Amino acid sequence: MGLSKQDFESLGEKILNLVEADGAQLWLHETEDLQLRSANNDITSNGVVDRFKIGITVNYGKQSASIEINQSNDEAIREAVKKVQQMAKLAPEDPEHLPPVEPGDYLTPINFSEATAGMNPEDALKQIRPVIEQGRSAGVDSAGYLERSISSSAQINTNGVFIHEQSTGVKFSITARAAEGRGSGWASTQVTDVSELDLAAVGDSAIQKALASRNAKARKAGRTTVVLEAPGVRDLLSILSWNLGQRNYDEDRSFLNGLVGEDQELIGNQIFGENATLYSDPLYEPAPCGVHYYGIPRKKTMWIEDGVMKNLMVQRFWAQKNGIDPLPWPGNLIMPGEGKSTDELIASVEDGVLITRLWYLRQVQPQTLLYTGLTRDGTFAIKDGKIDGPVNNFRFNESPANVLKNIVASGKQERVLGSEGDSPMHVPPLVVKDFNLSSVSEAS
Amino acid sequence: MHRRDWLKGTSAAGITLLSSRWVTSAEAADALSEKFPRLAEVALSHATSLGASFADFHLMQTDSESLFAREEMVQGVDADSKLGCSVRVLVDGAWGFSATENLSETAIRKVTESAIALAKGQAGWRAKPIELEILPAYQGNWELPIEVDPFTVSLEDKVEQLLGINRSALNTGANYCFSYLLAVRERKWLANTFGSRITQSRVRLHPSFSVTLTDPKQGGFASRESFLPPRAAGYEHFRDWNAVEEAALAVEQAKEKMAAPSVTPGKKDLVIAPSNLWLTIHETVGHPTELDRALGYEANYAGTSFCTPEKLDDLRYGSERVNIFADRTAEQGLSTIGWDDDGVQTKGKEFPIIKDGIFRNYQMAMGQAALIGRDGGSNGCAYSDGYDSIPIQRMPNISLQPGTDDAVTAESLIADVEDGIFAEGRGSWSIDQQRYNFQFTAQVFHKITDGKLDGMYKDVAYQGNSVDFWNACDGLGGKGTYEMGGSFRCGKGQPGQGAPVSHGAVPARFRQINILNTAEESGKKTASKCDCSGGGTAWA
Repeated sequence: MGLSKQDFESLGEKILNLVEADGAQLWLHETEDLQLRSANNDITSNGVVDRFKIGITVNYGKQSASIEINQSNDEAIREAVKKVQQMAKLAPEDPEHLPPVEPGDYLTPINFSEATAGMNPEDALKQIRPVIEQGRSAGVDSAGYLERSISSSAQINTNGVFIHEQSTGVKFSITARAAEGRGSGWASTQVTDVSELDLAAVGDSAIQKALASRNAKARKAGRTTVVLEAPGVRDLLSILSWNLGQRNYDEDRSFLNGLVGEDQELIGNQIFGENATLYSDPLYEPAPCGVHYYGIPRKKTMWIEDGVMKNLMVQRFWAQKNGIDPLPWPGNLIMPGEGKSTDELIASVEDGVLITRLWYLRQVQPQTLLYTGLTRDGTFAIKDGKIDGPVNNFRFNESPANVLKNIVASGKQERVLGSEGDSPMHVPPLVVKDFNLSSVSEAS
Repeated sequence: MHRRDWLKGTSAAGITLLSSRWVTSAEAADALSEKFPRLAEVALSHATSLGASFADFHLMQTDSESLFAREEMVQGVDADSKLGCSVRVLVDGAWGFSATENLSETAIRKVTESAIALAKGQAGWRAKPIELEILPAYQGNWELPIEVDPFTVSLEDKVEQLLGINRSALNTGANYCFSYLLAVRERKWLANTFGSRITQSRVRLHPSFSVTLTDPKQGGFASRESFLPPRAAGYEHFRDWNAVEEAALAVEQAKEKMAAPSVTPGKKDLVIAPSNLWLTIHETVGHPTELDRALGYEANYAGTSFCTPEKLDDLRYGSERVNIFADRTAEQGLSTIGWDDDGVQTKGKEFPIIKDGIFRNYQMAMGQAALIGRDGGSNGCAYSDGYDSIPIQRMPNISLQPGTDDAVTAESLIADVEDGIFAEGRGSWSIDQQRYNFQFTAQVFHKITDGKLDGMYKDVAYQGNSVDFWNACDGLGGKGTYEMGGSFRCGKGQPGQGAPVSHGAVPARFRQINILNTAEESGKKTASKCDCSGGGTAWA
């Protein structure tokens, strides 16, 4: 990592000076990733990887093209500008093309930590070693992945936009497997500031789940009440968020079209349970994110409040066509919780299943946003408010829309990882009724 | 040269030669080939002097071009070029890896030191050292044979073909249509301390479209995606596709799908076309037989495998007619290449995974065969998806071989089905982390009644257990029915890497497979339950 805000400004100016098109947008991005991967209680692969990208989009009227390169020498940039201009001149006019965005009112991002930026490979190896040794001592096979990222970027255009952002993040997940009794447990964390990292606690959680999930009993598939821990909740909310686009709804090809009557408005309508709230906020301290989306400012935005649909994401062209403001895709998602402990959530369930995490989520039916996937790494029966031992895993077929209608209770928010994307999220575990565990999986 | 130096205006002549230029330029590749021996020498000698018992140096350039057309508009004309290098070292039985886009000798020494430090940081607390077999030293060049370089075809030609697809769909009644074309070129230079110096180049192409019909009155919509698979091929793969005709057919099939009865769940016989079966092969045979998965190396991400080493040469994976073969040499195979990214020559390393229904071999990278006591070493299955990714074990082309009777076709397989379904086109896919329980959909599910196609079903998914499924196979198409499908980016590893891979298949029949009604799975009442089949909407 080497470029300052001034360096980005200079580089941006040099590139824009080469551009002869009507308009141009630049995205300059420098990252340094430190990666440590382990399996079978040893480090397996690792890496320190530097990356640099220059993205250039130019337009002549409504003709436009984009190019991305990773070499920053004079000749490479000149060739890229020349090439992208040639491409744009040959491209047919796009009636939906809009000129580069005008400067907006941008928040000051809070997703950078000096401590994280200063973490070196030796620090990371020192942090991960005790977690690996913890697995050896417990007699389990552990496999994990730690990644520290430092990112610095600038969004620049010919309308005067210059946004410089720096961000840091550390993510860690670990799977512990007990050969005898086929137990498996998983835990994870994600932080902006490395000083908040507690790898030992995450490792211990995975090991305890692995030991507790040995010798699973058979349980039949079927609709049931589940305690869905935070990793699974974030997966389902991520999926939901990808499908909250205004244009698809207006074009009658969204799952949202099936949730309102012919004469009803979607916005302002309660289509989910009254305990379902979802919002995004770049300055939310437990899980902050970037403050713009391709130059459009991100602000605190309520998507669903008390079950009522409040906003949909609106692309620039669709906003202009319909005389509304664009609303960019969020960089984080937050679901408030009731703050109950997992034990309290379990205590509220007479008969059900506790799910540690979900896996291999894929869309089955866009009309209802039906997704399928599987439980893994710690699935337990709940009977009369208590854990009643480990059970087999399940394939589920369920829609996040149904989940938001069927929330019974919620716990304390956590910033964890899931199987679907790794953008910052702060979500609670949920008790969800009538969750469709469709078939049994023999995987353990 | 450091990026800051560029900003200060100090320029090094050597670096200018290594410009990405416009990436398709053969000149730029020639310049890299010229520079490669010196850069490799810098990396490998430095690594050796710092204590590496093995090291390799990868220089890689990946260029891509993508075009996206929505209805009658071209909304994406994009190009991308990535150039960089990496150094991988083995020190005292531990790996270290580091990568940079900076091709100066100073930067290469720095990443070598960074890789060495990562490896040495594990000293004293590793449980088991990593051990490698000794590989032959090769001096080689390999280039994928293609007819027309897609990067030399004019933008106008490509755009016209995409818009032609969209026009065909819209004229046939689609409300929406998008089409795209993605072309990728990989150039790789590999040097290792065994003495190999290898240069390779390949191209792959992914043309595709999707049509959508909406029915606001009934509150439904339906889509149908194209069947043409991606291939390791030149522009001819796109040029020769009769996409205009297929787009019109896709719209008619989407119309039929919207009006089709919702399927009654339960056991049915299933005939699967290669356009759908390739993905089932990928998920139920490809991933379970990756040795790194079976040994726990992917436990934290993709998972492990039911197919554990004690099952080698013992597990009846499928019925006797099932033969599944792996190679990296098949014509137009997305995984096809001369040497893998460990430097193992792929020619002569082809192998059966399932022979006459029995599980016979794993996919392996360097150093893995010895872990299960197999002679012969790696079978050439290492791949890294960019200069910034460490090579890991990835899938070769894995293909279901034709049956023994050349006269068998999809029609003849269907003819022996009383009540069943014929599936075409890749749909949704999901499988558990040990590869037992799968669930797939398709683009089109045809109803089979008394040996003949009898309209369509909607709301269909097929679900089962991998081994039970392949043992239920009782019919395979002959040689003439063989087609190759594939995936442009199969995900694996942490950090995630995308690998291209092809899967050949013939139409195949499976008896009494579990069929789900996806509308019922979502909690909706369906036509199958309300006895109004033949019309209406599944999600009303």
